[in-house]
Amino acid sequence: MRIRRAERARWRQVPAGMRDQTAAEVAARRRAEERLRETFARWGYHEVATPAVEFYETFLHGAGPGVGDRLLKLVDADGEVLALRPEMTVPLARLAATRLLPGGEGPLRLAYVAPVFRGQERGSGRHREFTQAGVELIGAAGWRGDAEVIALAADALRAVGLTDAAISVGHAGFLRGLLATLPDGAAETARELLYRRAFAELEAAVPPGPALEALRSLPVLRGPTALARAELLAHAAESREALAALAAVLEGVEAHAPSVRVEVDLGLIRDFDYYSGIVFEAHGPAAGLPLLGGGRYDDLLARFGHPAPATGFAIGVDRVLDVLDCAPASRPTVAVRYEDQAYRQAVRVALVLRRAGLAVVALPDGAAGPLAACTVRVGPDTTVVSGAAGEVATAFDDVLVVVRAALETRA
Amino acid sequence: MSPLTVAVPTGRLLHDAVRLLERAGLHARGLGDDRRLLVDLEGGARVLLARPTDLLTYVEQGAADVGIVGRDMLLEQGRDVYELLDLGFGACRAVVALPEERAEQLWRPGHALRVATKYPRLTARYFEQVARPAEIVVLYGSVELAPLVGLADGIVDLVMTGRTLRENRLREVAEIAQSTARLVVNRSSLSRSRRTAELVATVRALCVQEAGRAGG
Repeated sequence: MRIRRAERARWRQVPAGMRDQTAAEVAARRRAEERLRETFARWGYHEVATPAVEFYETFLHGAGPGVGDRLLKLVDADGEVLALRPEMTVPLARLAATRLLPGGEGPLRLAYVAPVFRGQERGSGRHREFTQAGVELIGAAGWRGDAEVIALAADALRAVGLTDAAISVGHAGFLRGLLATLPDGAAETARELLYRRAFAELEAAVPPGPALEALRSLPVLRGPTALARAELLAHAAESREALAALAAVLEGVEAHAPSVRVEVDLGLIRDFDYYSGIVFEAHGPAAGLPLLGGGRYDDLLARFGHPAPATGFAIGVDRVLDVLDCAPASRPTVAVRYEDQAYRQAVRVALVLRRAGLAVVALPDGAAGPLAACTVRVGPDTTVVSGAAGEVATAFDDVLVVVRAALETRA
Repeated sequence: MSPLTVAVPTGRLLHDAVRLLERAGLHARGLGDDRRLLVDLEGGARVLLARPTDLLTYVEQGAADVGIVGRDMLLEQGRDVYELLDLGFGACRAVVALPEERAEQLWRPGHALRVATKYPRLTARYFEQVARPAEIVVLYGSVELAPLVGLADGIVDLVMTGRTLRENRLREVAEIAQSTARLVVNRSSLSRSRRTAELVATVRALCVQEAGRAGG
């Protein structure tokens, strides 16, 4: 029998991988989220929302049985198994295929900023609830769509202040082509090893030959000469087509955004197995986990009953905030201090200032309060505004003007 | 440019890991002889000493660019790092071992074994694969003790020579996995850090050399 931790200790904690956020953290997050929303909107992407909880089956249907272990599951009163969404691509594919595409006109440009949840993440120190901001371009086949979302990804990172991020781009078809040349059993084992990124173990699992050579060089098939080197290794038609498609997309991205650092990385393997073509990730200036990831998933919408090509990406907002370490500009607070008999006047002064858009806290004289940029002292007969420039006595009707002047001198 | 950081495991792989780094041109001699956990090397590289169970966390999260770790840890922890090279040293096997005199009786199909181990995920996966019922007792220290005192029927643990098993009157009944030391690399370091790529290339060349010598 399991000995449970005392309840007494539990209520002080939140579950592993979950966390509270302070006012400063929330402010920084909101600012980043607003900039991302604004960027998505400028590229013509419209924000949609889906429920945080869906049927367990929906995620398995979309992302394959492997996703089951990663879901945070719950059972409702009817015994129905539900799960919190682990990402937004499957819910948006469901939404698009079942509601938006039938009878509508494509292509769809959808955006989202939403918390997602994971049951158990591999590795310690990882969050189980985190925010993803991303887009899905649904109904657009071909390199122009991929170039658009990659350029948009770079623009979104720039908007939150990450000007030195580098984007790595690969193609799932290159690997599929290599695996197709292997005998069935070996292909399956190799795929499993590659999902674990266990390149050192390929030799034991794959018969020697050009395919093994190519698979082993995947981690180093990156950088400016990667496409040329990969050409020499790609014997399968699918691999060759993938390289041609990749070259076209890179050219397209370059047209959109010549200054963006884009690098070929044919060893890029994304965790979700619905990716069918171009895949990409972005890394910040420091080492660590990718800041964003995405790619093309042309077969996913068909699983929900309405085939359509699609491509998109998701930014890990928390990871971006970790890298940025930005202190948000807080709005200056005005303190309205009152003597007891001036309470009514004071809260009316506060209301006038708030209606004008200022942040105001009304407090009794002497009470502890926030650090204020400017203080309005309200007595039964006097109103005095004190700021960096000194003290000014004023009439009720002029308080707003005097406070604004006081705040401006401070700036 | 941040310095190249290499994570080296304390314990049984330390000696060979330091020797490998020496041969790769990182002068790490004497590492582990004192209590320093983070050691700056000549030429802007540094080495951090981590427990084998923690090492993959440092590499996955980017606190280290490169690490040396047993395959057993990779199988147990399933982290998001690139496992690039088999370094050849630190060979051992993960096995199921049962008390000598009761091994046959306990290992009969359908018997629900109680197994003590430091590798709960690896163990659970194995018993799922061979479709044998098992209950896992997670321990952090010497698991051989568990069957001696009735805490478990048997153990899943690493063996090198088999001496510890013999001394504790345990017999191997199944091999779960083979392990050697591996070179692992942080995903973004591989693309963003030139020095990481150079170290990987150097170590790869050393491994090929070694294999050639062993083969010839």
